[in-house]
Amino acid sequence: MSGFESFVGVNPWTALFTFCNAIITFLVLKKFLFKPVKQMIDDRQAEIDAMYADAEAARRQARELEQQYQERLEGVKRESDAMLRQANARAQAREAELLAEARQQAAALRQRAEAQIAQEKKKAANELKAEIGGIAMQIASRVVEREVSEQDHRALIDAFIAHVGDAS
Amino acid sequence: MNGPKIYFTIPILGGIPITQTTVSSFVVMVLLCVAGILLGRNLQKRPSRRQALVEKGIAMLYDMVRDTMGEHNLYWTPYIGALFLSSLGGTLIGMTGILRSTTADLSTTATWAVMTSLLCWGCGIRANGFTGWLKGFADPVPVMLPMNIISEISQPISMAFRHFGNISGGGVLTSLLYSALATLSAMVLGAVGSNPVAAAGFLAAGLALLGWGFAAKKLGRKIVGALFAVTGALALTGLSGVPYLEVGIPGILSLYFDVFSGGVQALVFSLLTMVYIGNCCPPPEEAPQS
Repeated sequence: MSGFESFVGVNPWTALFTFCNAIITFLVLKKFLFKPVKQMIDDRQAEIDAMYADAEAARRQARELEQQYQERLEGVKRESDAMLRQANARAQAREAELLAEARQQAAALRQRAEAQIAQEKKKAANELKAEIGGIAMQIASRVVEREVSEQDHRALIDAFIAHVGDAS
Repeated sequence: MNGPKIYFTIPILGGIPITQTTVSSFVVMVLLCVAGILLGRNLQKRPSRRQALVEKGIAMLYDMVRDTMGEHNLYWTPYIGALFLSSLGGTLIGMTGILRSTTADLSTTATWAVMTSLLCWGCGIRANGFTGWLKGFADPVPVMLPMNIISEISQPISMAFRHFGNISGGGVLTSLLYSALATLSAMVLGAVGSNPVAAAGFLAAGLALLGWGFAAKKLGRKIVGALFAVTGALALTGLSGVPYLEVGIPGILSLYFDVFSGGVQALVFSLLTMVYIGNCCPPPEEAPQS
């Protein structure tokens, strides 16, 4: 049978077929086109996001590390500076100490030497005095041709020698 | 213009008529499914040109749904997309000349419109509960009850008739134009053919004009020359029944009524569907807790 439907009208069977076709189209497109494509777009987006996040994290980490190194470097520098200063101070102190010690030693040595010299001088003077006394006695005895009593004239001689010693 | 032709009737259940719309609708479905499966196959992280195009289209649909319905309604996109493509394909299939546009049949557009309404109601029931949904008709004041009900009923009707009217109206206009052009060509051929001298003059003038058009490379002269030459030739040979004026002009009209209007109507239909369903599916935080 062949004929035409009315121009404006709803045929329930056509409507049913249209409905079924729409549902089938919807399901097929959803399963085979929209879902996988959307999935792909989302996956790619997620991947890009992850990559950006990774890069950002790496950058932050690098900066952190750099800062750490900087700090450590500064610490080391400060430490070495302090050590140097300390060593310097210690060396200076030691130098001063050594100098003082040396000076002291030298002073002590000189003092001792001076004392020795003085003693030697005194001794020499005494010896000289005694010898001069003896010589004087001899000279005198020869002059007087007689034994001069040492005991008698001792005081006289000593006075003379003291006078000589004072003059020398 | 007639409605869709009934090819045959399956003699069960009181006769199931298989109409042009049924066939077209089936063909559109098969084409869309095959295209969808082919385009959705073999997706790569680094897209080929084909895949990039497909992704662009799908992303555009998703963006449109996001803008119109909101982020929480994004899962509606496949339905909206299927509706849009079915509508567009259903209209464009009429351009084959063999199959009739599915959307030029009220059965099709009414079905889609009713589907939209049912989904809308389903969403309303899901969001507010059945009683809450019923109470919604009495908002904001109970006096509005009849108007709300009328608006709910008129919504699918207006959607169905808008789509149907636009497409079938285009078809009516096109067929009117065809018959007008056939009459016109019969008149012209009759007038020119009654006088062989005039016919020969037409042919000569047409050929001259055509030659001039080719020499000067002017499209207008070529077309007019060809028209005159064909008129003269048909009149001379006595083939006054050839509706030769039907060539070309309806194509321009078809470009508007089928391609442009079809696209616009598909867009309007799916946009309205999006708006209606989006209104019935408010964002989760705004939905009343019942």
